[in-house]
Amino acid sequence: MDYKFEQVKIVGGIGADDEFWRGLERGEFCLPTCASCNTWMWPAHFRCGSCGAWEMRWNVVEPKGKIFTWTRSWYAFDRVSERAEDVPYVSAVVEIPHAGGARVMGMFDGTMDGLNEDPRIGTDVVGHILPPSEKTKGYPSIVWRPVASGLRA
Amino acid sequence: MSKLRGAAAIVGIGQTPYYKRGASPHPELKLALQAIVGACEDAGIDPADVDGFISYASERNDAQKLMSALGTKEVRFASLAWIHGGGIPGALSIAAMAVATGQAKAVVVYRAMAESSTQRLRVMVAQGDTAAQYLVNGLESPAQILALRSQRMIEKHGVPRDTLKAMAQATYHHARTNPRAYGRNTVLDDETYDNARLISEPYNLFDCSRENDGACAVLVVSAEHARDLAKKPAYILSAPMGTLNGGGALEENIRPYSFAGQVGVATRMWAESGYGPKDVDVAQIYQNMTGMGVGSLIDHGFCTPENAGEFIRFDNLIVSGGTLPVNTSGGDLAEGFIHGMGLVAEAVRQIRGDSVNQVMGAKLSLMTGGPGDTMSSTGLLGSEETL
Ligand SMILES: [Zn+2]
Repeated sequence: MDYKFEQVKIVGGIGADDEFWRGLERGEFCLPTCASCNTWMWPAHFRCGSCGAWEMRWNVVEPKGKIFTWTRSWYAFDRVSERAEDVPYVSAVVEIPHAGGARVMGMFDGTMDGLNEDPRIGTDVVGHILPPSEKTKGYPSIVWRPVASGLRA
Repeated sequence: MSKLRGAAAIVGIGQTPYYKRGASPHPELKLALQAIVGACEDAGIDPADVDGFISYASERNDAQKLMSALGTKEVRFASLAWIHGGGIPGALSIAAMAVATGQAKAVVVYRAMAESSTQRLRVMVAQGDTAAQYLVNGLESPAQILALRSQRMIEKHGVPRDTLKAMAQATYHHARTNPRAYGRNTVLDDETYDNARLISEPYNLFDCSRENDGACAVLVVSAEHARDLAKKPAYILSAPMGTLNGGGALEENIRPYSFAGQVGVATRMWAESGYGPKDVDVAQIYQNMTGMGVGSLIDHGFCTPENAGEFIRFDNLIVSGGTLPVNTSGGDLAEGFIHGMGLVAEAVRQIRGDSVNQVMGAKLSLMTGGPGDTMSSTGLLGSEETL
């Protein structure tokens, strides 16, 4: 499979998370563990700091978690100006308890059936995977929605 | 105690005016030269005798570009602290090591920025090291990323939102009497603050640092050398850099999460200097954002999340009557922002006794590095009697 994000690679992070984005493009939420000692390693890295192993294993994980923190952006910042028309928008950091407490970012969407839930730390959320788009700089992405809203839908 | 305690001192300060971002009449390299020559003149040292050059973050005006204009006799030491705004006191520590070990005799620590010479400040400060996790999800600015930290500090740890306002108001209050301060005409009363437009929740416009063009330099020499010079030395008692396990460039997976990421360096600084929070006379707190300044005060042990609301009050943070006057020149928010370097100059002025908002008899002067950075540093300066 040709992955779209690979043609627009953002350099700047650690750079060991290609499998995370490949997973999202396939529609899967994958997070890594150390292939030797099974420690969750997030963000992904090249060597396990716990046991010294060099291999990672990528696990398909259920995209469920709790809002760890969030911010609502009220300004069209330079390097994310693709989202100017969405201002104000909410970005969230979501803790995944069944993946060693890994914290994964995404957009937060509390709207559903005319209701609009504000983001709150601790709210249970479900991740919905979106295909690459201009707003996500050609990367696949996750939007986190409150579990309660999901049930209403 | 550290071998470096009091081994070096800041003996010269040089600063260009703060210019509106993008409006500097001079390119960055010339601003750097002006600040360095200014620091030398202040100290009474010939610029040609400066033999060490240290900066931090993405500084581009390196010794190689400066030396022919300074008439430098020999460059004996040059280095860059590997952090962003977190690296400032750490850069002082590198300078102290260089002069204490005899690698160099006169070392400048400096930072110069002009938008016309490079890129937008906020892009340059980020140094192209923002991970995809952020950019894909609409996050790019330190204002947004640090907003995540402060939101949790407020919502989860119960630190009152009003502490951010108190930090902003104390800072702007001090700027009122500083002719250099870019924000000196702003009267930041409750109404002005409360009605300011939001930037990234919980931050509004007045919670964010400015962006300016300009340059600032300080000159560091050995303690022995410092005693022969004109100005009252500000001794570097301790200025550790680093981070504890669980910190680093971890895309919001740092543990612990909230506050400033400065517990490790603050603990070392108190141990190395032999002083504690209660001994500090005046503090220049790097505030990329007010909420991160609150985090710095907590990480340094001035208060806890539980009593932050009692300690971080306007009345307690100003020169007239406060137990911890902060940002006495107006700081990053209201004086101007050359990547925080102006705070070092003000920390030195407080030791010398010539700040526009002087804390009477100040002997211990704190300057904290950029909070919430992937790594940070913090520094305590002292007068001769604190050695
Ligand atoms: Zn391992």
